[in-house]
Amino acid sequence: MIAEQPNLLKLLADSRFAEGLSNSHLQSLCRAARHIRVPSETKLFQEGSFEDEVFIVCSGHVRLSMNVPGQDDVTFLTAGPGDLVGWSGLISDGRMTATATTVEETVLIGISGRRVQQLCEIEPELGYVLMRRVAQILSRRLLATRLQLLDLFHQNTGAAQ
Amino acid sequence: MSSKPSSEFPFSPPAPDSPANHNPDGTSLFLPRDDLNTLIGKLTADGYQVVGPRLEQEAIIYGEISGADDLPIGWTDLQEAGKYRLQPRGDQAFFGYTVGPHSWKKFLFPPVAVVATAERDGTGWKLDTPDAEPPKYAFLGVRACELAAIKVQDRVFLGGPYTDPIYQKRRNAAFIIAVNCTQAASTCFCTSMNTGPRCTAGFDLALTEISDGFLLEIGSAAGNAVASGLSLQPASDEQSGRGESARQQAVSQISKHMDTTDIRDLLMGNLQHPRWDDVANRCLSCTNCTMVCPTCFCSSVKDVSDLTGDHIDRERRWDSCFNMDFSYMNGAPVRNSIHSRYRQWMTHKLASWHDQFGSSGCVGCGRCITWCPTGIDLTEEVAAIRSSPSSGRSERPPISDAEVSAT
Amino acid sequence: MTVAVDPHNPWLARTVRIRRIVQELPGVATYDLCFDDAEIARNYSFRPGQFNMLYLPGLGETAISISGHPRRVGVIPHTIREAGSVTTGLAGLPENSCIGLRGPFGSAWPVEQCAGRDVVLVAGGIGLAPLRPAIYELLSQRDRYGKLILLIGAREPSAMLYPAEYNEWRDAGMQVEVTVDRALDGWNSHVGVVTALLDRVPLENPSGTLLMTCGPEVMMWYTIQGAISRGIPADSIYVSLERNMNCAIGLCGHCQLGHEFICRDGPVFRYDRVASILKVDNL
Repeated sequence: MIAEQPNLLKLLADSRFAEGLSNSHLQSLCRAARHIRVPSETKLFQEGSFEDEVFIVCSGHVRLSMNVPGQDDVTFLTAGPGDLVGWSGLISDGRMTATATTVEETVLIGISGRRVQQLCEIEPELGYVLMRRVAQILSRRLLATRLQLLDLFHQNTGAAQ
Repeated sequence: MSSKPSSEFPFSPPAPDSPANHNPDGTSLFLPRDDLNTLIGKLTADGYQVVGPRLEQEAIIYGEISGADDLPIGWTDLQEAGKYRLQPRGDQAFFGYTVGPHSWKKFLFPPVAVVATAERDGTGWKLDTPDAEPPKYAFLGVRACELAAIKVQDRVFLGGPYTDPIYQKRRNAAFIIAVNCTQAASTCFCTSMNTGPRCTAGFDLALTEISDGFLLEIGSAAGNAVASGLSLQPASDEQSGRGESARQQAVSQISKHMDTTDIRDLLMGNLQHPRWDDVANRCLSCTNCTMVCPTCFCSSVKDVSDLTGDHIDRERRWDSCFNMDFSYMNGAPVRNSIHSRYRQWMTHKLASWHDQFGSSGCVGCGRCITWCPTGIDLTEEVAAIRSSPSSGRSERPPISDAEVSAT
Repeated sequence: MTVAVDPHNPWLARTVRIRRIVQELPGVATYDLCFDDAEIARNYSFRPGQFNMLYLPGLGETAISISGHPRRVGVIPHTIREAGSVTTGLAGLPENSCIGLRGPFGSAWPVEQCAGRDVVLVAGGIGLAPLRPAIYELLSQRDRYGKLILLIGAREPSAMLYPAEYNEWRDAGMQVEVTVDRALDGWNSHVGVVTALLDRVPLENPSGTLLMTCGPEVMMWYTIQGAISRGIPADSIYVSLERNMNCAIGLCGHCQLGHEFICRDGPVFRYDRVASILKVDNL
């Protein structure tokens, strides 16, 4: 992974993740963040491992998969620009629930989950705004998972002919 | 009406301006009681199949009549929600009843009709539509609400981008003799729907029955032609006065009312109202209301083949939104509960009909109330929703600031 | 002039011949239909999003959207999934068989209104079929439009409809993104619901963007919600709805959804016109 610092603040501000965050909150977040460019087929983290770093995808795509014995890795989601991956580090103990692998060269903002949690303790307002944002993203992820679960495109569940 | 097939829409009689009982010269006309038979005979001689009220299966239905003797002379009907009984009147009135289970739609929009055919032709098929001329009907005894119903079905079958040729041919050929109501049933509410009880337009001839005969109005050129062959007399003021009070009796007997103020928005804004569950507990989804309704037009076309499979009729039959498979799609019915089917019927009839055809689908004839086996009365259902409209959101009251701070 | 549908005799079906059958997916095939009558063939034209009633004598009719190029005269392709008795009967017919056709019926995708605007098309499953004529039409005059983005969702990689054409569309100037609900080894594109693609597609001018969607109702609903949250106005969103159609001419009552007749007022609707009735149970 190559760490870069070319205007991290702008990169963060431009991401869909940052919608609704104030400039001062973004500056606080930047103190816990780094900018990285990752080549294709790089594993960002492994299901079951403990990780501190949370990623916001700026460009490129990341494959999220789970290991199913007998089937190898089953990809269930492709994360793209604006998506959050590895969020367990932000709200729980940091044990990863999926394996994340880049599918192409990908630019990410990596944020230390531990440092963000510390920031949030110091700045409860930032904590509230940030956790609200994360909850919004996760609720959208949950909805998308439900739609996947509904298996809408299966025969007889109906598509206009 | 039998005037030339008109490309105009909606149908309007040639001279409807003065809906009084005058002939074109302005004189009131009187048809003696015994000459009703002459009128029927003249229409028959003109090639019409005359259909009118007759007694059958303990009801007054509409069927072919060959003379005035076939009419339900001296009979009336007693109607309430879920109840219909015939009773002798004690007089010799021809039209002393309100409306029965039939309506004229069964002649204009037949319950079963072949809309297209397919004949095997070598390796392919010859596809065609029937072009046989339908019977030329003269309807005798069409009430004001029924004239309104015909007008409603005109909009459905003739007013859109595609016209139904079966309805069109029958409608163009029909001769309409309206009869003003001189009494009302407890189920009648035409005054709420602005459709009656007075016949004002949409007829060739209109009659008001009085004891010694009929006051006669002419509504079209075709009506005038038929009337000119009758021995009509100028009506006396006394006869006209008796006619007026007979018609007024119908108005004063109407007891049922439906408030139609903003009814479209009321019902479409209450699609999740708890009343639909309530009525669903009483509704049997039997389809009676849709079969007796003079405006319900739902149908299904299915292929009917002979044994060889070489000749196929595409047969259209009346269908009903109360039938489970009416909304069948992708392996399951969309409206799979009585709740949703009753809601579909009533919101269509009273609300979305306005969007679709520019008028209500209900003419206030009351048939759906009389012929409902459990006596559901749509006017009561509307009133119930009107008395407690829902906001469209959930019924729970909002949490107050006090409750928030208390927790 | 002999036209396919006479407004005063709309029950009359015309004879068409199955010129070619292309098996697209298991249970899904495209039927190229041609009128026997040369004059009808010449006069027949349709707008993207419209449908025909296809008739198999003895089995009945079924409504099928037209999936071909609106500017290509003579051949009318229909992509059909075996579902009911008519479509199953159709699946048993060989090329060169004759069937009946009435049409075209219904409303169309608002291709005219796309001029000068960015356009997003969101298709789910076989819902790509009714959108394909709009794709062809947009690409046939590519210069008239801004960015063209097509998002396609399918159950799994093998269930992608018309995959051979995606690169042609890309070459003609359309961004085409595909995603599947269930990935398999060797799938290099997106995994996840098609609404997630819409969440992250770059929109430079959302308020001037027009979106068309066709697929299962649930998919369309969340596509619409996603589009609105991205700033696409409700009156710039178009959906293709489906109900049981029996007559196709607004006379039989079957396909009503609230105040709309799907056959006559639809199948393509501007979203704000049907917003209040889309999420009412069993309507």
